[in-house]
Amino acid sequence: LADKSRELRETARAVRAEFDTLVREVKDSAALQALKDRFLGRKSGALSSLLKSLGQLGADERRELGQELNALKNEIEAQLADWQTRLEARQRKDALARERLDTSLPGRRQYVGRRHPLTVVRQELEDIFVAMGYEVYDGPEVEDDYFNFEALNMPPDHPARDMQDTFYLEGPGGLLLRTHTSSAQIHYMLENAHPPEVRIICPGKVYRRDSDVTHSPMFQQVEGLVVGKGISVSHLKGTIEAFLHALFGEAYPVRFRPSYFPYTEPSVEADLGCIVCEGKGRLADDSPCRICKSTGWLEILGSGMVNPAVFEAVNARLGRVAYDPEAVSGFAFGLGIERVAMVRHGIDDIRLFYENDLRFLEQFPS
Amino acid sequence: VKLPLSWLREYAPFTVEPKRLADDLTSVGLAVDGIETHGAQTVLELDVTTNRVDCMNVYGVAREVAAIYGLALRPLETAASERGAPAGDALEVKVEAPELCGRFSARLLDVKIGPSPAWLRERLELVGIRSINNVVDLTNYVMVEMGQPSHAFDLARVPGASLVVRWSREGETVETLDGQTRTLPAHVGVIAGKGGEPALALAGIMGGASSEIQEDTRTVALEAAWWDPLSTRRAARALGMHTEASHRFERGADVAAGRPSLDRLAHLAEKIGAGSARPGVIEVRGRERPARSIRLRSARVDALVGAPVPWAQQQRTLEALGFAVAGTTAEAEVRPPTWRLDVAREADLVEEVGRHFGLDKIPSALPPSGRVGVLRPSQRRERRIREVLTGIGMTEVINYAFVPAADVAPAPAVRLANPLTSEQDTLRNVDRGAGAGRGAAHQRAARPQGRRALRAGARLPAGSRAPARGAPARAAARGPVVSPPLVAAAAAVRPLRREGHPRAAVRAAGRPAADGRGAGAAARVPAPRPRGAPRQRRPRRGLRRRAASRGRGAYELKGEAVVLELDLESLLEAPAGIARFRSLDRFPAVERDLSILCDESTPAAEIDARVRKVAGERLRSVSLVDRYTGNQVPAGKVSLTVSLRYQDRERTLTSEEVQASVDAVVRELRAAGLEIRGE
Repeated sequence: LADKSRELRETARAVRAEFDTLVREVKDSAALQALKDRFLGRKSGALSSLLKSLGQLGADERRELGQELNALKNEIEAQLADWQTRLEARQRKDALARERLDTSLPGRRQYVGRRHPLTVVRQELEDIFVAMGYEVYDGPEVEDDYFNFEALNMPPDHPARDMQDTFYLEGPGGLLLRTHTSSAQIHYMLENAHPPEVRIICPGKVYRRDSDVTHSPMFQQVEGLVVGKGISVSHLKGTIEAFLHALFGEAYPVRFRPSYFPYTEPSVEADLGCIVCEGKGRLADDSPCRICKSTGWLEILGSGMVNPAVFEAVNARLGRVAYDPEAVSGFAFGLGIERVAMVRHGIDDIRLFYENDLRFLEQFPS
Repeated sequence: VKLPLSWLREYAPFTVEPKRLADDLTSVGLAVDGIETHGAQTVLELDVTTNRVDCMNVYGVAREVAAIYGLALRPLETAASERGAPAGDALEVKVEAPELCGRFSARLLDVKIGPSPAWLRERLELVGIRSINNVVDLTNYVMVEMGQPSHAFDLARVPGASLVVRWSREGETVETLDGQTRTLPAHVGVIAGKGGEPALALAGIMGGASSEIQEDTRTVALEAAWWDPLSTRRAARALGMHTEASHRFERGADVAAGRPSLDRLAHLAEKIGAGSARPGVIEVRGRERPARSIRLRSARVDALVGAPVPWAQQQRTLEALGFAVAGTTAEAEVRPPTWRLDVAREADLVEEVGRHFGLDKIPSALPPSGRVGVLRPSQRRERRIREVLTGIGMTEVINYAFVPAADVAPAPAVRLANPLTSEQDTLRNVDRGAGAGRGAAHQRAARPQGRRALRAGARLPAGSRAPARGAPARAAARGPVVSPPLVAAAAAVRPLRREGHPRAAVRAAGRPAADGRGAGAAARVPAPRPRGAPRQRRPRRGLRRRAASRGRGAYELKGEAVVLELDLESLLEAPAGIARFRSLDRFPAVERDLSILCDESTPAAEIDARVRKVAGERLRSVSLVDRYTGNQVPAGKVSLTVSLRYQDRERTLTSEEVQASVDAVVRELRAAGLEIRGE
């Protein structure tokens, strides 16, 4: 029995030595699997055979040797697992080394279309005003004389009508294409579900009989209107400064000067410090700045406090006093979307916006 | 308006540099566009707004300058020694049209016509007026200085030594100073000779040749009047004329300026040795506007300006500008001067005070807000559609709303009464690919292969003359409206893909699934109309397409051009609804493909409808996966491959169940004369 025991111990040592030798020669997972089968295989594995032979021993011997063999088995298993991990790591490394990816290769080009540069500006303006609590309101483009002129304190033969050469439609009704988005103010005030509170912008197309590099017979404006109790020139200034800074950046000063529009009183024009010459009037090479005509200022928008005559016209149409000029006040402003885009991108011909040339449209980020 | 600083300084002795003066004038609303120097002279170029006719002259601007710097405005020198018999003995004035002529003033001057002295010629040159002779130059000088246009008649050439103001008769003629003979319509103001004949001058617009000053003129009748703005404007427009005089009268001149301007003329005539005045001014009043009195509450000024302006400062500003102020801080009566017809109500006074207070001194503040700003669902949906379409490769273009009439014909056209060109004389109502075609033509110029264009814009409902949107009641409140569809055009896109773009847009709009089959169902293309078949009413929602063969020729497009039109309005206005979660399918789907051989003219939509009609409730979707013509497909035929997807929510379907449905579909399609391959 003692011989048997000794024999088994020697065999175990031999198995151990063999494993230690063989395991170093393992090159791939197939070889590792073969090794696993050879030593740990249930039927013919070397360790399995040894464990089966334990039955030939006495109880004490069996327990003692059994523990040793189990420890050996565990160690072999641990080593195999370790080798497995190392092998996999090496394989990944080899694979990565083989797989050279040229990350500078261009991908398959997927053409992405663009929003129109004017749409980009319009949506940007909308976003700024929506963030300030405004509603975006669309007015009609075909108007009659009342909405486009009369309600805006421009009765027939008013000299201010000269400033806006109007397209009229054939046929009865005196229909015309609106010359400004200001007409949308009137529509909104008439429809307003919560008068006298108003806080809207009205972007849209407008039409004037004029065509050259700075005038297009169709162009786009954004009108703004705020009405409520205690609205003042101070609020007009604060609002216009806030949105011009949001649109162009904080770096450019905003200047206000009195002006004239029939539908506002007092009327105010806002100028922005020239973004090309930075208000200097001259460029780096000392040539005069064409964009601001050397004044250092860009005319950007017209505005003013709502003329009480406008409130009265709306009240008259409504047949009730919804906007009492004694109790409420408001301000309105309007600016050209093309003007903003032209100033920002340095575009010198307004007609390019409407020629649909991709060479133009693809120049601007969308 | 050109403004020599030396002239301005005669009345407002300012000391600041020209640049500073320009900035200060700009900040009170008299925008200075340029500063020119001519030798020792500096001239400001002023852009005076149309309401401020009182500042279209030297003295009016001097008044503003005096108010800015707190200077005393110097009076105009008007003293003149008078000689001879009273003017009234030699000249008669009658105003037969009092509504036209508020006040008519006249003076007689005995003159010796000759050249003007150098200083006067130079001043006129600085403001861009050519010297003619001493008397005419003086009338121009006084107009530039005081803003009051006047006219000099040669008294010897005025029939009956009588000036009569009356309305014109239709068809009468006047030869004006510019040498043109003008035939007048009715209701033009004229100044005529004795008994009202003949018409000598166009009131407030231009003098006449028959009574023009000549070298032998001995006595002139100087006229300075106030003409009604509206009448002057209408007359000038009817005659197609625009003069320095009409420009001022149209905008409202100073009714009280006649006499002082004639006195100034007499003074200057004596000064330059051009002549001497007869005693007296003849003045006839027509219908003058009543003087206004406006209530001013200083608290209202503070509230509208948004900053406290001391009452003393308010009062000082108004008085410096010629307003008479009586009353207290709480409430004052303010009477505007005769030269400020633009000031009619309290808000106008607020502007006067505010602009001299200084807009830059008013603090900036954001108005208090009790509202949340959000885009409406339809606005968000429009943005989403635009994002999706640009994301899948379409570029947005914007077209003019007007097109050549031929692009709209034969549909009833809405035309412009006064187009700029015949190329732009009709409002676009049905797109007909015009815009898309134009866009595509440019695209082709820019790139070899076609690109896709996306356009959103207003369009008139076809056949509409007075376009309206919404319910009639709403339309009445809103006025006429142009509805906004969106057109997507695709050039040279593979047939199966071409309709995919707008479908994507419809899905992007999140259209609710009215028929329970998902939003895409709303975008099914209606069957094209077989040649010769009656035109069907277009479905209210969804897509319409046009094979733009006509446009293709017109715009030289290569390859296939397809115009697809989305009825954007119906998509945007549809109620949004909130998506409800549906538990995920636990049982597998079964897909079966059918190859169908049919006539090229058979619309895919018809097949789709037939499949859905008979396939049963477990059919989840039908999709067209291939459309093939070519080898193995006879001419005039097309092979469509349709994929049917079946699924049940409760269990796995058996192949018998699916086959039964497929059999029913095959029977239905065969019954419709279609050939099913491989079944």
